This record gives sequence, C-alpha cells and structure tokens, in this order.
Amino acid sequence: MSSHAATIDHHHDVTTSTGIPNKKLFMWAFLASDCMFFGALISTHLIYRLHPPPGSPVVNKVFSIELTSFSTFILLMSSLLMALAVNAIQKGLVRSTRHHLLGTIFFGLIFLGCQVFEFTHFVEEKHITLSNSIFGSTFYTLTGTHGCHVAIGVLWLILMYIRSFKPADADAGRPWIARAFLHVLVFAVTIVAGMASVLGLIHTLQAHESLGEFAHTHVAVLLVTIAGLAGLSFLGTSKAAVEFSEANAIDVESMGLYWHFVDIVWIVIFTAVYLIEFL
Amino acid sequence: MSTPTATPVNELDPAHSKFHTFVQIAMVLSVITGVEIVLVYLPFARWLLLSTLIILSAVKFLFVIFVFMHLKWDKFFCTILFFIGLVLALGTVAALIALFGSEASAPLTTQIAPTLSSWFA
Repeated sequence: MSSHAATIDHHHDVTTSTGIPNKKLFMWAFLASDCMFFGALISTHLIYRLHPPPGSPVVNKVFSIELTSFSTFILLMSSLLMALAVNAIQKGLVRSTRHHLLGTIFFGLIFLGCQVFEFTHFVEEKHITLSNSIFGSTFYTLTGTHGCHVAIGVLWLILMYIRSFKPADADAGRPWIARAFLHVLVFAVTIVAGMASVLGLIHTLQAHESLGEFAHTHVAVLLVTIAGLAGLSFLGTSKAAVEFSEANAIDVESMGLYWHFVDIVWIVIFTAVYLIEFL
Repeated sequence: MSTPTATPVNELDPAHSKFHTFVQIAMVLSVITGVEIVLVYLPFARWLLLSTLIILSAVKFLFVIFVFMHLKWDKFFCTILFFIGLVLALGTVAALIALFGSEASAPLTTQIAPTLSSWFA
C-alpha cells in the first residue's frame, strides 16, 4: 500500500538490536561465507592454470569470448532488473515488481542456456570433461557451482513471483495453494520446453538446415512452449486484491541481494577465468 | 491493497532518483565490460593489461555491491560483515597462490606417484 510509503524505512529496523532487518542481516552473513566458498574454488582454478600439468589444453583456443561476453552482459542486465524490482516493491508497485521479476527470470534463463551450450560444446567438440584434465575439473567445478547458484536464484525468483499472487482474502487460502502448485508446474514445463526449442533452433542453424525442418522435428516442444506461455499469461492476469505489498519489500530485497551476489561472482570469474587467458 | 497506486512521483523523490541511478550504473557497467573485452586484444605489456583488468573488475564489483545491493544506504555494519568474508576470501586466494608459487612446492615430476599397492609391496 502506497499510503505506508512515508512510514516504512527499508534500510533500518528499530525493532532489532542492530537496527538492521534480521532477514537482511542473515543474507549478508550468508553472502560473506559464500565469498570464502568461491574464493577457494577460484584460487584452485588459478593455481592449476598458473602451474599447468603436462597435456593441459590450450585454453584460449577453447573459450568463446563472444559467448562469455554475451552471458556477462545478460547477467548485468538481469541485475539491473532485479534492482528495479526491489525499487518498485519499496514503492508498493506490485504490477511493476512482477514485470521486473519476470524479466530477471528470463535473463537468468538465457544465462543458464548459454552455460549449457558452452558445456555441451566443450564436452562434445573440445573433448574436455570433468575427469580427463585438471583444467576440466577446476573449470567445471567453479562455473558449474556458479551455474547452480544462478539456477537456485531463478527458482527463488519464480517462487517470489507466484507468491505475489497470494490473495488478501484469508478464506481463499486453500484454492490459492493449488493454483500456486499449478503455476510452478506450468513454469517448469514451459522453461524445459522453451530451452529445448531454443537449443534445437541453434543446432538447426549450426547444421545449416531450414526452419521448416526445425519446426517439423520439434513440433511437440514448440506446441508445449506455446501452450505453457499461454498458461503463464492466463495465470498471471489475476485482478483480485493480493497479500503482497510494500511490507514484503524486505523479502524481495533479500532475494535481490542473493541475485546481485551471483552477478559479482561472475564479474570475478569473467576476468579471472576467461579474460586472463587471452593476455 | 496491492493495486498499483498512482502516487505522484517527483524528481526529488529519493526512490525516483534511485531508478535513474540504477539505469546509469548498469550502462557504466556495460561500458566497462566492453572496455575489458577490447583490452585483451590490445598489444600492451601483460602486467599493464592485467592490472587494468583487475582494477576494472574491482570497480564493477564495488558499483554492484554499493548501489545495486544498497550498501550505500544501509547501516555500516552490513558493509563490515560482508567485507570480513571478502577479505578472508581474498587472503585465502593470495596465500594459496603464493604457497603454490614458491619453489619448495614445485612437484617432483621425475618421481612416480606412489600407489596404494606399492606401499604394501
């Protein structure tokens, strides 16, 4: 409710001894510990790159700087959308928050798609696996762990988006839970089918086949994607009053902190793992 | 409750100015990323390029944590808490790289690594 705009201070909480909302404090403590986790993974990768064992691949001939740059740009833009989502909910603009959350989910999925494409390319064409070289072990462990963080972030974003439809009417609780489960299911099916469609399209273009050929071989996933998008559109058009407002800004902000952390880890990985190899 | 309200937003409203700040910072971050990509193809000294890349990454990192993650507006304790983890992580990276870079830690390449069965032979 925007009438509370002047009363809610989103950066301070007088009810806690630290003056910081507990959820925010917890998230900062978690992120500090996650820094050390990624610090260990990054240093392991760097040590083996600085002292490569015999038979290590020529890495700058393996990496695609274009694909990684695109991924970096996508993740930066998703961070912008996440910041705008937090800004919107702090002003009580639920509809705007939902739009920004959907944008962040979409960009997060593009990033994950790029990572799946990169890993597939490395394994199938460059023959670098998790176990056949030290480079493969440290690279896949580091970037895969980061990818898992992104996937968890996307899941959290989806759940928050669906949470924003919880009705204000307490009696509508049970039907809403069923609807929320359906919403999650439709999201999952649409994402899987959508990613299969996009990867199929990329493989078709790489094989210099026609779009007609692609449509013919991928008719099932295309139809499921379209039906899923229609379902999401239908489920996302609720006009009823909801129990999601400026008071939930701290939930969205905590999730935002996690998402931005994923972005800053990628900023470090982009330089320490990818760009350094081209010097 | 949650219907989008038409609150008049003026230019002096901090929340409104934050929107512009976020967009501007995102543009700056994109430009820095572009500069980083161009840098690796330039024929300058390796140490110079490496130092520049590290500085540019640090600038991006600080922009995100202080603006997007609101550290700039939050209580200073959040900054301290996060930097404890960050400093420990950076210390770990530096210490490990220094340890493995020292001459004493060079692997004995001529020695065949012992196997479990050789220990019992």
